[in-house]
Amino acid sequence: MNNERIQLEAPLAPDFQPVVRLIIGGIAERVDFGFEEIDDLQLAVERLLAEAGATGMVSLTFDIGEGHVRTRVGPLSERSIADALQNESPPGELTLRRILETVVDSFGVDHAADGRIVVRLEKLRGPA
Amino acid sequence: MKAVSRKAVGSERAREQDRELLRRYHQDGDTSAREALIERHLPLVRSLARRYAGRGEALEDIEQVGAIGLIKAIDRFELERDVSLATYATPNVVGEIKRHFRDKGWAIRVPRALQELNASMSGAIERLTVKLSRSPSIAEIADELETTPEQVLEALEVGSAYSTVSLSGGPAGDEDLDPLETIGAEDEGFQRSEDRAALAPALLRLPPREREILRMRFEEGLPQTQIAQRVGLSQMHVSRLIRKSLAEMREQLT
Repeated sequence: MNNERIQLEAPLAPDFQPVVRLIIGGIAERVDFGFEEIDDLQLAVERLLAEAGATGMVSLTFDIGEGHVRTRVGPLSERSIADALQNESPPGELTLRRILETVVDSFGVDHAADGRIVVRLEKLRGPA
Repeated sequence: MKAVSRKAVGSERAREQDRELLRRYHQDGDTSAREALIERHLPLVRSLARRYAGRGEALEDIEQVGAIGLIKAIDRFELERDVSLATYATPNVVGEIKRHFRDKGWAIRVPRALQELNASMSGAIERLTVKLSRSPSIAEIADELETTPEQVLEALEVGSAYSTVSLSGGPAGDEDLDPLETIGAEDEGFQRSEDRAALAPALLRLPPREREILRMRFEEGLPQTQIAQRVGLSQMHVSRLIRKSLAEMREQLT
């Protein structure tokens, strides 16, 4: 498969989360992700967007390659997300970082010049 | 009259057999007696499950959920109780089924064809997971159900729609129930999570079953398929409960 990119600008309002989930499902299906892998990626983006607030717009970029989907979410002005992702999770607490550690293969935070952040998520297809 | 008497005698004999099996299980720890009790009362579960058929959920899923209620009833039964196991188990089975529907209540009006596709998807995913020894792809699910990947995705999405209103509200369809079935039973399962003092308050407000599912997923790192096996639910149902629980926790923090 050639590397392809899909860019999407979507409202952060919860009403539109199913639309984003559907699009992620369609993208992940193109790289033959299993049901659970699709669900994981959808959950990762969903939780991230929930932390980003409920108003305004958000940009999502999906880079699709052989057996993987790399997602960029942002720029986001919620700097607390960066803190939540960069600090170790306290024992027993279910933090955004712990959720992402479980459901995606890697994640990171890029800092934009204007002080906002972009979150990177990478999900790989499991063994067939 | 004779037929009625014979039925009554048969019913009394069945009740005595149940009590003997319950005694063997609870006093002697005989797990084969527990299995026999489950087997004997599965027809009751099927009968109750059928009352909830045609509501957009596969009958086999409803039976599976009802069986969990039966097992809980058998485990909780106190031998001193002067009540038959069938009478005691009925509200447990119905309660479990109703909770399942509450968890899943459709938040939006969903076309019947998609509801039906969603209902058949759970079984298809379970079958394919066993057959392939991995989570099936959307294309494989579509092949199994003789539909398109786009339809599968859409049906999955409408299936994942849940209503926070219906979760906090009363159970649907109470008008169908006799008073006995509306008697609730406290959920004593999944007590392990109760003891985890370190858990955040928002997590502690979740029902024990949901807490345990989150613990298995995010602490043990178990995949949904294994969690589904452990708690006796379908993978799709586990997925929904995880999403719902995380959303509820987030709401409590805001």
